[in-house]
Amino acid sequence: MKALTANRLTDGEVVFWRQGQWVERFAEADLFADDDPAGEAAEGHAKNQPKVVVEPYLIDLVESEGLWAPLSYRERIRALGPTNLNHGKQTEGGAAIAALKHAHGASRSTGRVDLIKRK
Amino acid sequence: MYRYDTIDREMLADRSAEFREQVGRRLAGDLTEDQFKPLRLMNGLYLQLHAYMLRVAIPYGSLNPTQLRKLAWIGRTYDKGYGHFTTRQNLQFHWIKLADTPDILDHLASVDMHAIQTSGNCIRNITADPYAGATSEEIDDPRVWAEAMRQWSSLHPEFSFLPRKFKIAITAAPKDRTAAKVHDIGLVVRRARDGQMGFEVIVGGGMGRTPYIGSTIREFLPANRLFSYLEAILRVYNRHGRRDNSYKARIKILVAALGAEEFARQVEAEWEKVGASVDLPDTELARIRGAFAAADFDVLPAVSEAHERAKAADAAYARFIRNNLKPHKKPGYGIVEISLKTVGETPGDASAAQMDAVADLAERYGQDDIRVTHEQNLVLPHVRLDDLPEVYAALKAAELASANINLVSDIIACPGLDYCALANARSISVAQHIAQKFADPDRAEKVGELKIKISGCINACGHHHVGHIGILGVDKKGEEFYQLTLGGSGAEDAAVGQALGPALPYDKVADAVDTLVETYLRERQGAERFLDTFRRTGVAPFKEAVYADVH
Repeated sequence: MKALTANRLTDGEVVFWRQGQWVERFAEADLFADDDPAGEAAEGHAKNQPKVVVEPYLIDLVESEGLWAPLSYRERIRALGPTNLNHGKQTEGGAAIAALKHAHGASRSTGRVDLIKRK
Repeated sequence: MYRYDTIDREMLADRSAEFREQVGRRLAGDLTEDQFKPLRLMNGLYLQLHAYMLRVAIPYGSLNPTQLRKLAWIGRTYDKGYGHFTTRQNLQFHWIKLADTPDILDHLASVDMHAIQTSGNCIRNITADPYAGATSEEIDDPRVWAEAMRQWSSLHPEFSFLPRKFKIAITAAPKDRTAAKVHDIGLVVRRARDGQMGFEVIVGGGMGRTPYIGSTIREFLPANRLFSYLEAILRVYNRHGRRDNSYKARIKILVAALGAEEFARQVEAEWEKVGASVDLPDTELARIRGAFAAADFDVLPAVSEAHERAKAADAAYARFIRNNLKPHKKPGYGIVEISLKTVGETPGDASAAQMDAVADLAERYGQDDIRVTHEQNLVLPHVRLDDLPEVYAALKAAELASANINLVSDIIACPGLDYCALANARSISVAQHIAQKFADPDRAEKVGELKIKISGCINACGHHHVGHIGILGVDKKGEEFYQLTLGGSGAEDAAVGQALGPALPYDKVADAVDTLVETYLRERQGAERFLDTFRRTGVAPFKEAVYADVH
C-alpha cells in the first residue's frame, strides 16, 4: 500500500492526501494499492498545487497492529514528530499514533531518494 | 560589543522588507518553489521534516542580554518555546511557519540580528574563541578581527556565489576552542619575536564526506595585511573550485588536489596583484577595536571568601566549579561555562525560560556578555568569584547547572533524523542514551575529558570526524546504523578519527561507548585522557573489546 504526503507551503506541516484535500493526520490519509494507478494520479494532481504544498511524493506502507504505517523510519518520524520530545502530531495520542510508534519495517524513504537525486 | 550603525540597520530593514515581499509572492503563487528556495535559503530558512527551520546568525557566538531575550521571545511566540544552539555558534528554530518569517526577521533586526549568510555558498558565520576578552591565554581579542571579517564578508559581491559554503575560524589562544584546523580557513593570532602581531593561516581543513586537517600556508601574515590575503585565497578558490561537483567543491578538495605548496604559491601570486588597497585602514580597525574595549573590571583579591565557603559547604557547587569554571585574566573573576547537556535532554537546546535566565545573569553578574560555544554550550565570560554562589543557584533553578563541561556527557549532536531533511539516522537520542549511561557524576569525572560528537549524516554537522569518539549515523537498507571512529580531535592537536570497525545498530551504540570507556580506564596510564591512551595504544584494544561484546 501507498499514501501520498507533502509539506504544506504556509507552515511546513506534514500533510497527507485525502480525497483531493490535504489532512494532517496520517490515519486519515487515502491508501492506494501498489498497483492502483490512482496513487500516481493523485501525485500528479498534487504536483499541480504549488500554492498549497511543497514536494509531494508517494510513500510505502507496512501493516502495524492491524493498521497501516509508513514503512521507512524517516516517514514514521514525519507522521509522528521527533523522538526526543513529545512534539508534533504524536501529542494527540490514541490507537493510530500507537500503531505508528510500534511499527517495524525498514526501507529508504521515497522522499529521501528524491532528495538525493535532486542534489 | 559591536553595535550596528545606521547603514547596517537600513540594510537589514531593506532585506526584511524584500523577503516579506518575496514570501507574499510565493504564497500568492507568483514564485515557484524552485524560484523561491534560493531566496529563502539566503535568509536562513530551510524546509525540514516537520516545519520550516530558521537559522539565526550569532556573529562569532557573541550575544548581549537584549538579543538573547529576543531569541527567547521568538522561541516562545513563533516556535515551541525553545531554540537549538549549533556547532557554528548559531541558533536554529525548528518549528517555524513560512508566513511568520518576515515578522520574525523584523524582530531580529530590532536587536541587530538576522539570518543572512546562514545558508548558501557564501562566507558563513565566523567562529571565534568563546573565551575572547576573558582568557589570559590570548595574544589579542579575536572578536576584533572576527567583527572586521563579518563586515568584510557580509554581502561581499565577489564572494556571494562561491563554489561551495565557506567557513572561517579565528583563535588567539594556544588552546584552540574553535576547531580552527577543520575550517576552510583557520586563523591563529601569533606574535613575532619583534612584537609584531600577525596570523598563522591554515587553509583547506574540513569535515563532511572527505575530512581534512588544514595545511598552514603562511606561518606569519602581518596583521595589517589580513584582508588582502583573505581576498587572494578566495579568488584562487573562486577561480579553481569545482562548481561542477558539489562533493568536490569545498576548498579542502582544491588544496588537496593542488597540494598545499602550489595552492600557497598561487595565493601569494594573487596577493601581489590584490595589493594593499583592500586592507583595513588602521583607523577603521581602531574603531572596531573600540567596541571591544576591556570590560570594566574591579580590582579584586584572587581568592573570594564567599566562593571558598560555598565550595567547602556544597559538594555539588564544588563539582560545578571543578568542571565549569575556567580561569579569567583578572584576579577575582572567572569564566563560567553553562552546559546545555543536561543528562536526558537534547544537546544544544535551551528553553525560552532558560535563555531568559541566562540573559538575567549576564545583566546582573556578567557585564552584559554571553557567548555560544561551537560545542553547543553557553558562556558567561566575566563573573566575579564573589558572585558565583548566586550565579550557580540561579543556574540550578533554571536546570542549567550540569557540571559536565568537557566530560563524557558533554556531547555534540546535530538535530539528525528527528528534524533534518538530510539526515540518515537519529543523533539526539543516541546522545541521550550515552549521557544516561554516564549519569553518575563521579564516574563521569573519573573518566575525565572525553569528547563525543555525533552526526546523523556524512555532512558532519555534529563534527563526528574530530570526536575523541565520533559517531556517524548511516542508512543500511532503511535501518539506522552507526559507524564509530576513535582518536579524532578538533583542538590544537587536531586529527581525523580512525574507524573502529563495522557499523553498529542503534540499540548497541551506547553499550559500545560504555565498553570503549571501560577499555580506556583499564588501559590508561597516569593522567592520560581518553585521547592520549588511544594515541598510545592504537585502535586494537578498543576494537577487540567492542566487537567481542557485540558478536
